[in-house]
Amino acid sequence: MMPLIEFAHVDFAYGTRNVIRDLDARVFENQCIAVVGPNGAGKTTLLRLAAGTLAPAYGEVSLKGRDLQLLKQREIARSVAFVPQNVEVPFSFTVEQFVEQGRTPFLKLFSGLCGADYEAMRRAMELTDTWSLRSRVFNELSGGERQRVKIALGLAQQPRLLLLDEPMQHLDIGRQFEMIDLIVLLRREGIAIVASMHDLALIQGTFSSVWLMSRDEPMRQGAPEEILQPEVLEVAFNYQPHHRHRLMERMRNPMEYAL
Amino acid sequence: MAKEVTAERAIYMSTQHRRPYWLLAMLSVSIALAVLVAVGMGAVHVPVWLLVRQVTGGESLSADQRIIFLSIRLPRIVASLLVGAALSVSGLLFQGLFRNPLADPYVIGSSGGAVLGASIGVFLLPPISAAGFSTTALLAFVGALGSITLVYWLARVDGRTPVVALLLAGFAVSTMLSYSSYFLEVLDRDFGTGMRVLASWLHGTIAQPTWPQLAIVTFMLAIGLAGSVPLARNLNTLALGEEYATHLGLSVQQTRIAVIVIGSILTAAAVALGGLISFVGLIVPHMLRMVLGPDHVRLLPATALSGALFLLVADTVARTAIAPAELPVGVLTALIGGPFFLYLLRKTKQGVMP
Repeated sequence: MMPLIEFAHVDFAYGTRNVIRDLDARVFENQCIAVVGPNGAGKTTLLRLAAGTLAPAYGEVSLKGRDLQLLKQREIARSVAFVPQNVEVPFSFTVEQFVEQGRTPFLKLFSGLCGADYEAMRRAMELTDTWSLRSRVFNELSGGERQRVKIALGLAQQPRLLLLDEPMQHLDIGRQFEMIDLIVLLRREGIAIVASMHDLALIQGTFSSVWLMSRDEPMRQGAPEEILQPEVLEVAFNYQPHHRHRLMERMRNPMEYAL
Repeated sequence: MAKEVTAERAIYMSTQHRRPYWLLAMLSVSIALAVLVAVGMGAVHVPVWLLVRQVTGGESLSADQRIIFLSIRLPRIVASLLVGAALSVSGLLFQGLFRNPLADPYVIGSSGGAVLGASIGVFLLPPISAAGFSTTALLAFVGALGSITLVYWLARVDGRTPVVALLLAGFAVSTMLSYSSYFLEVLDRDFGTGMRVLASWLHGTIAQPTWPQLAIVTFMLAIGLAGSVPLARNLNTLALGEEYATHLGLSVQQTRIAVIVIGSILTAAAVALGGLISFVGLIVPHMLRMVLGPDHVRLLPATALSGALFLLVADTVARTAIAPAELPVGVLTALIGGPFFLYLLRKTKQGVMP
């Protein structure tokens, strides 16, 4: 089976700081991958490389076997949607006008939106349960609502792969659970997902595999139960062994800590 | 339930995305009425009903009235309509480009650049500028293009344009440029004429344009408006930020260049007829945003019409309020627009923009 996205020997550096070194990884249809690792390990960079907005310094990122560097961004955006962590909108766009931007890769220069565009937008808003918010102003939404609307924009692109950058950040525990439900739902819809995640406790049961990035070691890939082990995490996150019991407790009982 | 939802959907889709025809129709009618009233007003009163009869075929105007009508009032009215539309649309474009509702061709220095360009035409190239108006318009365009490019380059910090940086860069560049025009005055060979032209530009007066001048500016406005149509949707996408817009397949660099060029054509068109008229490009798009929301596609036609109406009314007030003397319309728009600008600045600081 051909992977949706494939990283082959990918290097990336900001200036002289190497962030990603010799990365080999694949994302297949129906996969739901959590990217974890300490701050600065390159989680967002990895997502941007997959979205084609950053170009690798060495190696190749390919979409269904075709080098992203040779594809137009419009073409990439029809298969891969990137949902950024923060979006600042200077004007008071409504939710619907915001989601409409997801149709950009499908629009021709002079033509407006057609029935298929509205259908895709409606479907995206219904999946994310934001249909009822459509006339509200994006900037006036709560954090959880905003997060769902951002994902609706991504879904309006009708992607095969959804890249989520810290989708749980700044969400209270109830909204985090809603986000988990949404990810499970999208997975059922046949959309592959790669999400960078801070909270390790929310991964098990939702994601099919975990990519563990660290500053110095090569990336580790595996099933959640394989990667989310204290010995493995200890190396990547570089914490003292006597904190191990805190981590285990937290993984066992996420509710307590989240509250 | 399902049926209800479908119906609601259908109604929603049909109302939200329609162009605001009711508003456009209202604006067109208002412009027609305003033109009729403005033609009648002035130092010599020409009753509206005489004009209407003249237009519909009767010979009701005296020879003097016809001259006043055809070579004084009408050209000026057309000029104010053109200038208002051009300033408002360029304001809308620049606001989208800078992702900042405070951008205006005057505030960000592009008008200042156009004045300098036009002044070079008047002072340093007397033979050509005497022959035709087009050199002035062309040089105004070059000036506007140069200054906006400079301000854009100066004011950008990490792909964003902070309000303070934009205002400071715009202020510095426009002050520098409009005072450079005074320097050119010293080099004036045809003593006196250029100075008067320059003074009227710097005050923002819509002088007495000739019909060929109006034709050139109409042409520039037409190009500017036609160019803005495909840009409007791109500006919506650009509002999400450059990185996001790039990801969605928008060629940000091309859009930027296109906005700068089209915006400069419009600024040059406005400056060539009216000089430095401030804040129109700020007030008009902002008012409309409160009615229509921030969607540039919806805003564009309404902005052009409202701008035309706004400046026609302002110029008519400016030339009749203290008749027989005249107030430069730029003074009037500055008096209205200044406080408005400060109010917007205050609101932007609080982080809520309509």
